[in-house]
Amino acid sequence: MIFSLLDELLIFSAATVLVALVLGRGLAVGWMVTILYAGQLLVLIKMAALGYGGDPIASELSLSVMGQDLSWRFDALSWFFALITLVAALLTSWFSCGEWERKFKQQGGNVWLFHLAMALNVFTMLILLASGDLLSLFIGWELVSWAGFLLMAVAGGVATKAAMRYITYAVVGGMSIFGGIALVYAAAGSLQYEAILIAVEKMSTGQLWMLVLLFGSGFGIKMGLLPFHLWQAAAYAETPGPGSAFLGAISSRMGLFAILLVLVKLFGIVNIDSLKIPFTLIDARDLLAWIAVFTIIFPTYTALKQNDARYLLAWHGIGQGGYMLLGLVTANSLGAAGGLLHVLNYAACQAALLMAVFAVMHRTGTADLNKLGGLVTRMPLSFLVLLTGIIGLAGLPPMNGFVSKWLVYRSLLEDGMPLLFLGTIIGTLGTILSVYKLIHNMFLGQLRVEHEPVREAPWSMMIPMLILAGTIFVTGLLPGIPLTWVTAALQTIGLTGPEITLGGIESSSGSLDMIWVIGVLFAGFGIGAVIFYSAGPSKRVHQLDNYAGGHFLTADVRYQYSDNFYSGLMHLIKGWYRGSFQWLENSITSLVEFLSLGMQGIYRRANSEFYLLSTALFIIAWVVF
Amino acid sequence: MIPGVTLELILYVTALGLVIIGLAGVVLSSHLFRMVLALVIAEAGANLMLVLSGYRWDAVAPILMQRTDQPAMVDPVPQAMVLTAIVIGVGIQALAVSILIRIRQRYGNLKRREVAEKMDAEIAASAGIRRDISQDAPLGERPLSPLPAHTAESRGGDA
Amino acid sequence: MNNLVLTIALPLLGAFLLPVVMRLSQALGLWLGPIILGYGCWLLGNLWFSDISLPLSVAIGGFDAPYGINLYLDSLALLFAFAVQLLGLICWPYGLNQDTARRQALMLLLVAASTGLALSGDLFNLYVFYELAAVATFGLVVASSTSAAYAATFRYLILSGIGSVLTLLGIALIYSQTGTLNLAHLAQLAPELLNNRLGLTAYLLILIGIGVKAELFPVNAWVPEIYATASSRLSGFLAGLLSKLALLIILRLLVLIFDQPEAVQIVLILGILGVISGEFAAWRAKDMRRMLGFSSIGQLGIIFIALSLPDERGLLALLALSLHHLVIKTGLFMLADGWGGSLERLTGAAKRSPVGAALFTLFALSLVGVPPLPGFWAKFTLITELAAQSEPLYLIGLLVFLLATVIETSYLFRIVVKLYSSAETTSEQPEHQQLPGLSLATASLFGIALLTATVLIAPIGDGLQAVAAEAKNTELYIQTVIPATPGGQL
Repeated sequence: MIFSLLDELLIFSAATVLVALVLGRGLAVGWMVTILYAGQLLVLIKMAALGYGGDPIASELSLSVMGQDLSWRFDALSWFFALITLVAALLTSWFSCGEWERKFKQQGGNVWLFHLAMALNVFTMLILLASGDLLSLFIGWELVSWAGFLLMAVAGGVATKAAMRYITYAVVGGMSIFGGIALVYAAAGSLQYEAILIAVEKMSTGQLWMLVLLFGSGFGIKMGLLPFHLWQAAAYAETPGPGSAFLGAISSRMGLFAILLVLVKLFGIVNIDSLKIPFTLIDARDLLAWIAVFTIIFPTYTALKQNDARYLLAWHGIGQGGYMLLGLVTANSLGAAGGLLHVLNYAACQAALLMAVFAVMHRTGTADLNKLGGLVTRMPLSFLVLLTGIIGLAGLPPMNGFVSKWLVYRSLLEDGMPLLFLGTIIGTLGTILSVYKLIHNMFLGQLRVEHEPVREAPWSMMIPMLILAGTIFVTGLLPGIPLTWVTAALQTIGLTGPEITLGGIESSSGSLDMIWVIGVLFAGFGIGAVIFYSAGPSKRVHQLDNYAGGHFLTADVRYQYSDNFYSGLMHLIKGWYRGSFQWLENSITSLVEFLSLGMQGIYRRANSEFYLLSTALFIIAWVVF
Repeated sequence: MIPGVTLELILYVTALGLVIIGLAGVVLSSHLFRMVLALVIAEAGANLMLVLSGYRWDAVAPILMQRTDQPAMVDPVPQAMVLTAIVIGVGIQALAVSILIRIRQRYGNLKRREVAEKMDAEIAASAGIRRDISQDAPLGERPLSPLPAHTAESRGGDA
Repeated sequence: MNNLVLTIALPLLGAFLLPVVMRLSQALGLWLGPIILGYGCWLLGNLWFSDISLPLSVAIGGFDAPYGINLYLDSLALLFAFAVQLLGLICWPYGLNQDTARRQALMLLLVAASTGLALSGDLFNLYVFYELAAVATFGLVVASSTSAAYAATFRYLILSGIGSVLTLLGIALIYSQTGTLNLAHLAQLAPELLNNRLGLTAYLLILIGIGVKAELFPVNAWVPEIYATASSRLSGFLAGLLSKLALLIILRLLVLIFDQPEAVQIVLILGILGVISGEFAAWRAKDMRRMLGFSSIGQLGIIFIALSLPDERGLLALLALSLHHLVIKTGLFMLADGWGGSLERLTGAAKRSPVGAALFTLFALSLVGVPPLPGFWAKFTLITELAAQSEPLYLIGLLVFLLATVIETSYLFRIVVKLYSSAETTSEQPEHQQLPGLSLATASLFGIALLTATVLIAPIGDGLQAVAAEAKNTELYIQTVIPATPGGQL
């Protein structure tokens, strides 16, 4: 039996799990696992060094269980997501080696379980990405869900509560997909993609609606789309550091991958477009677009309210998923490319940001935004990484987030969707406000006395962070490289990408060349620097040497407005935070509780069985006579 | 006799009636021993039904085989079966009564409601959990403190 | 082929001999039961691998069917008969004292009756074995001799008594219509004589009657109390196997005799109600045993939904779900042997018993159907089959099934999280529950079986498909039992 490259990759990944499982209690397991991730990445690059263009690579392994054929294969779309997954795994795992591990162990964490959970997550994600039919997709999907549960629950305590909430949502999603698969199977008689493509053409509108709702909500739960987003922030934020960065970067995107595969490729965006909602002007596609926009807005403004850096980023991450979906739903060449590119850009930014936050947490022991501040002189490199990340996330040049968001905005304007565009602008405003809160409260402002001895994060953490920051900048400068991958990926799901140049895209209605943009920007910086330095030498003062109104302020006085940041703004918009979704979730829980009480009542009443029996006899009498 | 009503029909109706009386007795009686008695009645009805299912009015008992005129026989199979069923029924009744004796010894009486209450309490106690709902109380939190035992007793009826 | 009779006769004989043998020689008495059951396993296992062509019919007492009584052995019956003997051996009440001797005798009786249930091809015989199994069960439950056990058993007994009255009534109706109780003969006559309201009434009476043991919805109120008071090993046997045997009877009736849409529909409705009531009740349960009891009601409800599916793949789903539930529930009840009490007390139990906690997690994962564990395949077969039906009621069944899975996950994994949580609760119950070694070993056995099935899922699936095809073949059944008459009248 000759192994294909995909088999090699999967075997490599399985071996990583095995190593983490067996040798996980030994020394330096983190390094071992990191090297193995690098190996997996090499195999992936061997598949396609310069972006994936060729035919799908099939796995030699295929099974037939109970009349169902299962197969696995890799195409450009899988490759693109796998690349992000493996790079994220490699860097986060690297981040965890050495100091972080030691501290985690001191705090009573289980390093073995952590690495095992990470390796399992990577392995299951690769299985999901490699799925070659709807059944193997579902198997991969469930495995990813449960592996995620394990990683979230590793920390114990609050984290298990969040993980429990996650798994309840995930199972609801899984069951929704399971139901959809059953209906597809009933209609197509098989779960192979070819058979489904044929069956979809013959489906009635009602059937298609049903399937779009089932699959859409199932995958949407993983992505944290409204109204299923409540689980995500706590679950990601409470995961131990590197795991949180890994999950934040890629985990939810598995939902996007599945949406692309099932809704876009199998059902076809054209078919979805034809599903009209009765008595309104919108159709299923508009519905998805609006869900995407609301997913951008609401969680982003919830992020604004958070006082824990991890929660702020996690809430924020939910909103970013909306941009990707929005871009892909527009399904024109610019929007789709922008949406998919944003997966990569966002992953890099989110991982960098979370790592920076965890680096600060590693040194200071807290991620509470009200208890930090002024760390820029203590941890300058971390500050740099965080700065790069927030510029990227907010979608400003010269970082990569600008490119993907520009493409999405552009496509919205070209398609004539001004309201959606307005929604994204409101979202972006929230993004900028909340990331500013993050960087301000952590690195700017007043240094707290207890943080005076804080040092820069160790190199084991700094190197992966710097690599990520570099990636964010390089993919911003030369977006042509990732865009070739994106274009190849789009082709596999039946969409076309834009014309690509090294610095951006070529389009009749307006091109983008980031090399020029960044050139101009840096020229501006240069002029600024010239003016700054030509103004003569500046005087350096100590960070705690502060005055207000002519009075010297001692370090123990909290004079900054870090506490209750944005209080004025919050006063204005607080009426909008009603927790309606939380209310919805609570009422469903109460309903289950109520039903549960009732059902137990049936079984626990003294005469229950006899009442029931008589009811049954009545039913008999009714049925028969 | 009313035309159309044969002895056969009356017997069938009687059998069914016995079963229904038995079931009603089991459902309605509030004393465990009466439940056993009701079960006996229901079983008698079912057995009667079984015998009737193979009975022929123009035939003789299947053991009278030596007669010269060879008349038609009653179907012997249901009769054999009903014997088995009766034996099984008696066995189960005996078991039921013996269990009742034990319950009477342990719990002091055979009132259905009280036995159920005590059983539930015992299961909860052996599992080490607090019982959150009483059998007689409405479900959920009670705004007032529970009534003392004797007043709860005197409320009677189906609460 | 008269060896087959031994699998029923030997345990029956052993049950009555055991008290005597125990007096004569304790060592022999101790080994009598396991030897008999081991022999039964060997006998049936041999049958599986021998070249005897299944299905076959064994006439008892020298009269051929339909006049005589027969045992019917197809792969399905063989599978369950083997499972009875094996599970009897696994759940055997090991021990030395006089009390266990009594239990062992009753256990042998239960095994004999259960094997009879699996093999018998005659309706009245089924009734007799059913009652025998009931009596043995009552005896075994009260053997734990707590007062609650007596009270619970009494309720069970009354309910079961009503069930047997109804069954008897149904049998009488059938006999009055057809004049026979042989299943094959009934299958021949049913399209003409029983395809009417009276036939349906008879079926419903038997369904409710037999349903008591199968944990069918309206007659299953005994379940939580019996499982809470009986010993865990017994509960495992009852929930795992006896319920499936009662189900097997209903299956045979549905396939062979009452092939009517109404008959199937009522099973579906009752199944749906069972799922809803069982799963919701389990969600709030506070102790392990009752939670398992309620969950077993829900699972049986799902199995009843599978039972209502008309074609062969439906039967495959039914078989897969039944066998899966057999392994899982019995395994979980073994764990409940030590962890039977309040769920609160389980906090941090994984530290003291890592194997037990791992097994619990494994069982829970398979029960909610996480691929690639066998539970997934069983559930997958079920839902694709449900979705393929045109009746809207089946879609409701599908919906309820999916909902049930969510609730199941919620309450099972609440426990898993509790098991692995590090915070020890020291508030009320300082004493910790320990898993007895024997139960842990038995549960591990089930865990290993589950993992083996995961690896060998493809051949197992093919095997079950063949079993289902054979069991669904009414013509084959009739031909095997009454070969002289090719499909015609007697």
